[in-house]
Amino acid sequence: MKEYLEVANDPILWLMSLPVVVLVAIQAIIFSKKAFKTASLVQLTKKEAKDAFRVGAISAIGPALAVFVVMLGMMAVVGAPMTWLRLSVIGAAPTELAASTMGAQAMGVEFGGEGYGVLQFANSVWAMTLNGIGWLLFVGLFAHKLEGIRDRVSGGDSKLTGEIGGAAMLGAMAYLVGGHLIAGSGRLIAALASAIAMIVLVKLSGKIPKLVEYNLGISMVIGMVAAIIYMG
Amino acid sequence: MEKTNNQTYHESFTKPIIKVGRITLLLAVAFSFLPPLYLWMRYDALPPLNAILTGWFLIASIYGTYYFIEPISFFPILGVAGTYMSFLSGNIGNMRLPCAAVAQEALKVEPGSEKAELVATLGIAGSIITNIIVVTIAAIAGNQLMAIFPPVVVKAFEYVLPSIFGAMFAMFAVKYPKYGGFAITVTLFLLGVVKVLPVWVLIPVCVFSTISFATFSYKKKAK
Repeated sequence: MKEYLEVANDPILWLMSLPVVVLVAIQAIIFSKKAFKTASLVQLTKKEAKDAFRVGAISAIGPALAVFVVMLGMMAVVGAPMTWLRLSVIGAAPTELAASTMGAQAMGVEFGGEGYGVLQFANSVWAMTLNGIGWLLFVGLFAHKLEGIRDRVSGGDSKLTGEIGGAAMLGAMAYLVGGHLIAGSGRLIAALASAIAMIVLVKLSGKIPKLVEYNLGISMVIGMVAAIIYMG
Repeated sequence: MEKTNNQTYHESFTKPIIKVGRITLLLAVAFSFLPPLYLWMRYDALPPLNAILTGWFLIASIYGTYYFIEPISFFPILGVAGTYMSFLSGNIGNMRLPCAAVAQEALKVEPGSEKAELVATLGIAGSIITNIIVVTIAAIAGNQLMAIFPPVVVKAFEYVLPSIFGAMFAMFAVKYPKYGGFAITVTLFLLGVVKVLPVWVLIPVCVFSTISFATFSYKKKAK
């Protein structure tokens, strides 16, 4: 094991990462409580509110397992505690690895290569930290201002707000899937197969309402299996 | 009546959410510095200031525009509570957006309503708890657990992102086929034909051109 990895896996570093991870959980719990408290105002029953939380929790299992797989690669180079911290908050493995690389470059060495020691690792940690706070600061300081802009655009028409939300989602997902479609091969097949599966499932769930909350999970698995079969 | 209700909702939900949201995000900023400060205190590993700033500059030159573009572009989907939660916990495209949407779909709420916002908040909260549990297990015992996954399963996870995005796009395209057709045409044209645009231009162009198209069609229909 490289020398810096012993430092990167220092048990106390877990403790230093803990506050951020706990904060993420606390925020989710406080927001849920507020939502529960407000539920009756908008004719949301306690059971429905619980269901919403449960559906979110279950739907996240598939994507979270994908994060799990990516994490291992990151742990091998920046250690487990920093990986735990960075993947519990904003930023994803590619972002954090890019930041680590830039931190190493700024010290004139290759990330994980010759001359990458404790000091160089510390610079990678600084780069990940400073990059991550960009989003946190902007949203922390300005998110409440965005609310006003949205209301002005929709003019308080909630139906239009809904259409705008749907359109924004389509724009975002079109962008996210677009690169995979153009990449072709297994990624194209995965995207197409899961899209077709979703269309079929949406039609089916008209008859079987209980199915709806599993639509995403089932489509995802079909997409993955189709890609694996196609790639042999 | 409608107005009073809105006001109560604002007092009961939106106002406290903004307060807690701001505090938690700014606290997260402060807490983020614990690991680098610890490395300095314990190992005397404080890089020279100019190396720290150079590293910051290099990474910010890639992601700096995302700090603003992503929150602004995703706000119309996430709303204020969803924005605070998603930008604290990350994994937005692959986890927060899908989980919020699936929760709304499962509970059949009217899009854009206050009820829809609460359902999305709860769906996102649920997904955050799952993520923390999985990430924590992975950090502690990932390498040992990896051995029990057959290689084909590990390989299949390479295709998880196109599968999520394809399914999510289809889910919304069924609801709004016209907007879906517009969004994918614009995206494929920009990615496949124009090609030169940087990502920080692409995301807002894809999102806001589709929003404009939808707003325009909606208003035309309403007339």
